[in-house]
Amino acid sequence: MTLAIVLVILAVVSLVVILRLAVSRSLQISAGPGPAGQIQPLDVAAFRNLASPDEDTFLRRRLPSAEFRRVRRERLRAMSAYVQVAGRNAAVLVRLGQTALRSDNTITSEAAHQLVDQALLLRRNCAFALIRIHLALALPLVNDAAAPILRGYEQLSGCALLLTRLQNPAAPVRISAN
Amino acid sequence: MLQAHSLLWQYLWLAPSILLLVLACCLWRKSLQRQYAFFFAFAIASALEQLTLYACDLIPSVTAEMWWKVYWAGLLVEGILKFALIAEIFAQAFDAYASIVKLGTRLIRGVGVILILASAIAAAFAPQDSQFGIVSGAHLLQQTIYLIECGLLLFIFVFSSYFSIQLNRPVFGIAVGLAMSGCVHLATWAVAANSSLPPERRIILDFVNMATYHAVVLIWFYYLLVPGKVTAKSIVSVPEHSLEVWNQELERLLQQ
Repeated sequence: MTLAIVLVILAVVSLVVILRLAVSRSLQISAGPGPAGQIQPLDVAAFRNLASPDEDTFLRRRLPSAEFRRVRRERLRAMSAYVQVAGRNAAVLVRLGQTALRSDNTITSEAAHQLVDQALLLRRNCAFALIRIHLALALPLVNDAAAPILRGYEQLSGCALLLTRLQNPAAPVRISAN
Repeated sequence: MLQAHSLLWQYLWLAPSILLLVLACCLWRKSLQRQYAFFFAFAIASALEQLTLYACDLIPSVTAEMWWKVYWAGLLVEGILKFALIAEIFAQAFDAYASIVKLGTRLIRGVGVILILASAIAAAFAPQDSQFGIVSGAHLLQQTIYLIECGLLLFIFVFSSYFSIQLNRPVFGIAVGLAMSGCVHLATWAVAANSSLPPERRIILDFVNMATYHAVVLIWFYYLLVPGKVTAKSIVSVPEHSLEVWNQELERLLQQ
């Protein structure tokens, strides 16, 4: 009977999760695309600085080891915040790109396809990077966790720029801060 | 009313199967049978299985043992088709996205292996009925199939949600229906397989299963045959004007 209870609980939890995801998907569709306003500008330069192994090497040389560990933890936490924002932006861009995929214009549709692909890649890399950052927080010797994110974000930004230009040449675009 | 062979019981057994056959015909007429090949096959096989079982239940010459043998055969075919259908849902949902399809395939295989192990453990710990082994075995097989089915569908929903991928309307409808049916059936078959309920209480589980399945067939009708709202192809509007700054920054980063 204990097994039955466990399985019933698992079934109910699964059903609730699936229905919640299904309802949120339906709400997203009925609300229309319009997610561009949800994109949070990301300071790529600051992110690059945080992700730079050279900076780490420099700080390791300059600071006492206890101080360096404290600073590195702070930097990793900041990096984690950046990666989370980049991941959220990527998710928004996937939705934006999926809407543009339906465009009758072939060039726009191709640009949208490229944007979606890059955004998905970035979202995937964000998940892996967050795991690595948290591992690095636990094990300070692991580093260079966010380098793939930086490269991915640069490519994604280019795709978003291209898509927006194709859809509305007069419209501005901003997915990173200056 | 909630008794075997009552009018409601007969309706809930027959109606979903007939509706599924009608749905299969509609898919055929809309030439969608190739696009959703495994769903089409599943709809026909599932409907024929249930109608055969219903006929066997009514024919006096069919013994109880024979009925359970037919049930077993149908269950095996339906189980195989369900997993093929889940593979079809996964392919329709993610094959278009080259950057995550490999990751998704690896993950779903891993989840599948874990679910098979978990369902084998759950089956090993279930009480054995030596007197009616064919019946308890069928309950265990149902529990095993639904446990794996639920897990795989949950993975597909979580994976697509994490990546913000919108499944197209028919695939979404098929997946939601299958997941609802899977979760409710998992709960009821787990109770049936792991507890010694008296027959008058077990019949309530049958009613829950049949009513859920009926609702699921109606969901499939809605998502496969009723067209969705056409969303306007709106131009993306971006609020702030910082295109030049962004361009400078991007070029600087790309040149490094």
